[in-house]
Amino acid sequence: MNRIKAYARFLGASFAVNVQAVVEYRANFLAQVFGMMLNNAAFALFWGVLIGKVGSVGGYGFSDVMLIWALVSTSFGLAHVIFGNVRSIGQIVQKGELDLYLLQPKDVFLNVLCSRTVVSAWGDFLYGYVVLALLPGFGTEPGLHIERFVMFSLLSISGAAVFASVFAAAESLCFFLGDATGVADAITEFLLSFSLYPEKIFGEGMRWVFYTVIPSGFIAFVPLAAIKVLDWSLIPILALVAAVYAAASYGFFRLGLRRYESGNQMSSRI
Amino acid sequence: MNQAAPADRDERVARNRASDTSNGGGVSIFDCPAHVKHAHRGKRGSEMSAISVHNLSKSFRAKVRAEGLGASLKALARPSYRVIDAVKDVSFEVEAGEVVAFLGPNGAGKSTTIKMLTGILRPSSGAVSVLGLDPSKQRSELARQIGAVFGQRSQLWYHLPPSDSFRLLGAVYEIEPKVLERRKGELIERFDIGPYMDVPVRKLSLGERIRCEIAASLLHEPRMLFLDEPTIGLDLVVRREVRALLAEIARCDGTTVFITSHDVGDIERICKRAIIINHGQVVVDESMKVLRHRSLSRKYIGVKYASSVNLEFGDIKPVKSTDTAASYVVDTNEHRLEEVLRALVGRGELEDLTVEDEGLEDIIARIYCTQRVRA
Amino acid sequence: MSDAAQRANSKARLRARLKVRKYAVAASSALRERTAYRGSFLGSAIAYGLFVFVFSRIWASAYSDRTDIDGYGHVQMVWYFIVAELSSFAFSGSFWSLARDMKSGDVAYLVSRPYSFVFYSYAQGMGRAVANCMVLLLEGAVLGLLTVGPPPAVSPGQAFGVLVAMVLAGSVYFLLNLALAMTSFWVEENAAFYWIFQKLALIVGTLIPIELLPAKAQIVAWWTPFPSMSYVPARLFSAWPGDAGAGELLAYQAAWVAFSALLCHCVYALGRDKLTVNGG
Repeated sequence: MNRIKAYARFLGASFAVNVQAVVEYRANFLAQVFGMMLNNAAFALFWGVLIGKVGSVGGYGFSDVMLIWALVSTSFGLAHVIFGNVRSIGQIVQKGELDLYLLQPKDVFLNVLCSRTVVSAWGDFLYGYVVLALLPGFGTEPGLHIERFVMFSLLSISGAAVFASVFAAAESLCFFLGDATGVADAITEFLLSFSLYPEKIFGEGMRWVFYTVIPSGFIAFVPLAAIKVLDWSLIPILALVAAVYAAASYGFFRLGLRRYESGNQMSSRI
Repeated sequence: MNQAAPADRDERVARNRASDTSNGGGVSIFDCPAHVKHAHRGKRGSEMSAISVHNLSKSFRAKVRAEGLGASLKALARPSYRVIDAVKDVSFEVEAGEVVAFLGPNGAGKSTTIKMLTGILRPSSGAVSVLGLDPSKQRSELARQIGAVFGQRSQLWYHLPPSDSFRLLGAVYEIEPKVLERRKGELIERFDIGPYMDVPVRKLSLGERIRCEIAASLLHEPRMLFLDEPTIGLDLVVRREVRALLAEIARCDGTTVFITSHDVGDIERICKRAIIINHGQVVVDESMKVLRHRSLSRKYIGVKYASSVNLEFGDIKPVKSTDTAASYVVDTNEHRLEEVLRALVGRGELEDLTVEDEGLEDIIARIYCTQRVRA
Repeated sequence: MSDAAQRANSKARLRARLKVRKYAVAASSALRERTAYRGSFLGSAIAYGLFVFVFSRIWASAYSDRTDIDGYGHVQMVWYFIVAELSSFAFSGSFWSLARDMKSGDVAYLVSRPYSFVFYSYAQGMGRAVANCMVLLLEGAVLGLLTVGPPPAVSPGQAFGVLVAMVLAGSVYFLLNLALAMTSFWVEENAAFYWIFQKLALIVGTLIPIELLPAKAQIVAWWTPFPSMSYVPARLFSAWPGDAGAGELLAYQAAWVAFSALLCHCVYALGRDKLTVNGG
């Protein structure tokens, strides 16, 4: 129990420091938010024009596309708000900065991930909620709105966990391959690209990918289906899936860490 | 945070400088802070060594880089490795409360050894015990009891004031909030960093930053402190301040201090014992006193005469000379000092005469160049 | 011609040749640097390929129940996209490296060199882009063939026209990037300007042809440089508008190239004064 309390305090303090970093860089934050809004607006315009002309794409209407962007944006943002270093692990290892984390009495994986926040990610995180608020609700009961917000939040949490797991695992490749930033970047591109577009435009052959190595299915497609009809039965399933991805990612990192501790992956450290 | 009056600070610094610990603990006008006196000395308890290293070895496999296209392609399919023996059969013991300098030229195996002591690297063979713990198996436990200061890498968050990093470190090391506050206050006063606690670290000067860094490393009252190049990049004045601080920590807290540095001044001021490592092996392991007296036989003699004289005598030739002045290096094992001086004085009217021991830096440099294993 | 006049003449010609050589060397060295630095371009290449693939699927779905959208068939639309995206990806990162040079004060040294800063940067930037383009074109061609098959047939004359259009498009793209980067002389945080520029470029002619935009938006679009940066080469390649139409579009592009070059020179002249006064 004591250990859990200690870790809770540690994560809380980490998060507090992260928030302060954002406040310190609020000008940067606002600029990033602005840029993100522009980017999303450009694509929203594209979808608006296209769907205006052809009605629906892959079975998705305009609000479906907006919802998917919202889900992915908030999940992605949340992952980088809490685990800001999730895409910097490779760089940290290459620069030898991992040693500092190894010297602290806290789990290395968690410590590395939580010791930074990405300022722009806060904008991504909030964007999803803004879109959710602006989208026309189904029915006018206020209860439904609250229900939708709660479900959206839960879906984003599991989505963030899956995002973070995949990114961390990709970055952990550097323990085995040296400079694997190219691969890690590619995986990021793939994951984002496939998550933001209608599932059905991709052939049957590709679909299995979305539920394994590039889990757009768990980040975007299934959550979309859930939130459209407020299907609560999908939540525990997604939570379980997210836990599996997290455990796998953690295990992979530990494997890499053992390799790092044996010192054989780099010769220039003497 | 209170603004320390400049006059008080200067006075404090002056008193710090006056306490010359290289004398081996003479009377100093600056006493240890009352709450700190020998904080860890009582904890010795089982009288075990703070660090115990036996036959420690570490080898790496490094990929051999191929030259030319043909070799590169072959290397892709079947890479070849060469083995690098970074650390070979190193043994030493460090008692609790000792202040040890760990020296060696680049590539000697220093960093590798420290990494094995702190659990960052797993040894290939041999036994390591730090504070009674196995660093690679009980790293987390050990981490609670050691502090580390790396000159080139910071534990403090770059964009935030040190007070925020302190709070986070309190959570990392599970320091109770009340204890944390007290400890923080003590360290702020001791290191005189009150004015900087609310300034983002990136805005602090290097000297201010390193003081905060050292304070941060002591937050959890570690029994052992590892320092890697703590004064690198600092200017002379700040360097002396930092050395005084470290000397005080070593003297008053009873903390075992293990310091790596290329700066001989650091070593001279702070440490009582030197372990020198080269080519992966310990070449010297003795107290500073013995080390300094190692080459007592070598004397540097400088003379200056009123008028031109013959500057050679016997088989002693000057290293440098002009018409009237010269410097000599004399090995007193071969030539009696009294005879040399008598000869020099008798040459002509002496205007100046200096006789010096070999400096510590030269001693160490010579050791670095030696191929022999043990003295 | 008299002896002296002949000598003066050949001297002038030599100087002119050397001047041209300066810029040619800059361009070719940038080209060589790019081809050596394969790794750093990989990210853009992957992103481009992904983009083309994903959008080919979107269009496949859009065309599942029709054969024509605003004058473009399925095959044409996908090949339009492949060509239109080239400029953004070929120049990826150029704004940031230019802006960084401006801010770091490196520019201050270049100002004192004996060549036109704008032309030198242009030569370098275009050299880099050509190298990138070769990789991207190959990628795009393969993906296009795999997803929708061969593009609409183009005659050699038309192909030449497309090539000219691509060079002009790249020129406008780069010169405007440069002008934006030069705002660093006055404004520290000019990332926002660049984003606005980039996203507008995306919407006006890159993601979708101009013809798909609402009527009023189309009229406004033609008064911006964006159609010349992506629409013209893509349109010429995928849906040749007849020789007269092509000529008009190329002239339109040329006008924008001239405008952008002029803009750059003016911004530079203004900025250089500021540099020499403030020291960068």
